[in-house]
Amino acid sequence: MTLLRRWHLSHLSLYRRLMVWLLCPLALLVAIMLLQAWLASREAADRAFDRLLDAAALSIAEQVRWQQSRLWMDLPPSALEMLATDAEERVFYALYDAQGHFVTGNRSLPSLPTENDIQMNYGDVTSQDMPLRLGVLRARLEGWDRSDRFEVRVAQTREGRQALANQLFLASFVNILIIAGLAVVVVLLSARFALEPLTRLRRAIRQRNPRTLSPLELALPLELAELRQALNELLARMRRVRANQERFIGDASHQLKTPLAGLSARAELALRQSDPAAWREALTTMHGTATKTARLAGQLLSLTRLNNPEATPAKQTVDLTALARRCVREAFSRHHRRGIDLGVEVPEHAVMVSVNDWQLEEALNNLIENASIYGASQVTVQVTDAPARLTVTDDGPGIPESQRLLMLRPFHRGQETGDGSGLGLAIVDSIARAHDIRLSLQAAHPDHPERPGLCIALTFSSDA
Amino acid sequence: MPLKLLLIEDDPLLASTLTETLTVENQRVERIADGGEAFARLSLDHDYDLILLDLNLPTRSGLDVLATLRSRDRQTPVLILTARAAIEDRVKGLDLGADDYLAKPFALDELEARVRALLRRRQNDPSEPLVLGSLSLDRQRQHFTLNDTILSLPPREHRLLACLIHYAGEPVDKARLLEDAFAGETVGDNAIEVYVHRLRRRLAASDVRLRTVRGIGYLLEVE
Repeated sequence: MTLLRRWHLSHLSLYRRLMVWLLCPLALLVAIMLLQAWLASREAADRAFDRLLDAAALSIAEQVRWQQSRLWMDLPPSALEMLATDAEERVFYALYDAQGHFVTGNRSLPSLPTENDIQMNYGDVTSQDMPLRLGVLRARLEGWDRSDRFEVRVAQTREGRQALANQLFLASFVNILIIAGLAVVVVLLSARFALEPLTRLRRAIRQRNPRTLSPLELALPLELAELRQALNELLARMRRVRANQERFIGDASHQLKTPLAGLSARAELALRQSDPAAWREALTTMHGTATKTARLAGQLLSLTRLNNPEATPAKQTVDLTALARRCVREAFSRHHRRGIDLGVEVPEHAVMVSVNDWQLEEALNNLIENASIYGASQVTVQVTDAPARLTVTDDGPGIPESQRLLMLRPFHRGQETGDGSGLGLAIVDSIARAHDIRLSLQAAHPDHPERPGLCIALTFSSDA
Repeated sequence: MPLKLLLIEDDPLLASTLTETLTVENQRVERIADGGEAFARLSLDHDYDLILLDLNLPTRSGLDVLATLRSRDRQTPVLILTARAAIEDRVKGLDLGADDYLAKPFALDELEARVRALLRRRQNDPSEPLVLGSLSLDRQRQHFTLNDTILSLPPREHRLLACLIHYAGEPVDKARLLEDAFAGETVGDNAIEVYVHRLRRRLAASDVRLRTVRGIGYLLEVE
């Protein structure tokens, strides 16, 4: 059981699996062949020696006469000589009459059940703790007036047969071993050969520069070509991700370089002037730009983190009411100083949704910040139940309907004159997509064409 | 005795600016630039009234410094200053026992407001008055002074204003005001608005403002 389970373990190398599945049956086959060879050797030895027994029994039977109206025989030594081999086995014979009485012989021998009346019957018997090969010949002595049946029993110890069987088996054994050895060599070589493309693939992958995402070009057999195809598809996806990242980094460095260049130029200009009022004005501008740039850097970082496919944030059950109140409390002073009226409208009860709390908080902070940057004077965060929805409404200039989808792209800004980075809504959009939240933008007051405002809603799916 | 502030910040420009900003009358700032040094300093007894802690420090992280401080001192308020804007990090800092969190970049007046709020909360000594602009509360004698004249208030207005000045600079939930100022009394939902309205009129001539935070509650701050 455990052995079987080990065979199924996926970490067993392919080479070892092949070895197990080829060599085990081969070993079984060799064992069967050896057994079969052993049986065949014994049978061949028996056949050869049985023929001698047959001849001896026949020549004994020819000596049977009537003597004083009883069966009798005088055995010439030549009759038994043919049974004596180099192995010095012992030979026994006996004559029995039709009633099974011992007539003459050098030892009493057991009978064998009748199988064949014409030919000799053979059997393996043990007589007085001696394993014997016994041959029984039933014959008839015919005279002019009488006819008597008799049995000639001839037995031989097994030494000669054993020696011959061993000799025959040894020859087969050597043959089988040579064939088995050749088979093992062939199996080993063909396994190596069959697995060689895999080795090539492994080397090709290992030798690659980690930064290279070009497809693998390598001639491979059909099964591995599918693997190469899958690898190449993955590489293609990675190329797209990297191209996207590179474009983003390019955009980001441009976005950061531009305000820094502005800062540097403004400072240089101020240093050439000597009017404290001009310095003050320059410092105010520089302070604004520096703050904006720092905010941009922070947003770039969070957008990069959000777009990292390796990190899927854990979701918790979050109370939207509490979250909205907390965000507004924390943002209140900062916005109040800028003259923005920030408020919250939430139900008395908790509205539970399943999200990652810090990401949702980040999304809400970005929405509040965005509204205040783009010229709103009143910003309201609302939470409604059934379906759970989080809305940020402002009374700013709004976004024309044709522009709304573009706003979700990184670095796309509604107004070039604004203080925004163009990342706020892109961040909110990534968070919404990661949480299966529907993000919708619409005018807050469509009846005021000059200041329609903007109402951004995050609607949570009902099962969230 | 002046208040002692410890600023743990490695950036020299920011550190010198903050030191200059926070060194005001009755307030002294000491600065440490290195995480390891701050760690060693705060592993011993200290007499700081407030610690401003950057999280990204050389040799030892700010969170380590905070953890060692909190293992022996749970009292001294800690304000985290960090460029790590992620709210995730803020949660980590607050879990380790920081009292407030300010993400860089921040406005100097925002920093000053937070520092004032933390120092005010720190003031456990009832002989010290709570001061907000021209308004102050003598906690021993239980009376307010506005523009150096005693401001006598009816009990409910007094309790309401006392609660607001305690949390000055941050929005206070309506529910908390109801609980703290009118505990055990049955007051109508808009009763609080009546008292707020009256307090506003009394404070109108001063630099102290009582703001409404829509949907949350009220905020007492210096204009």
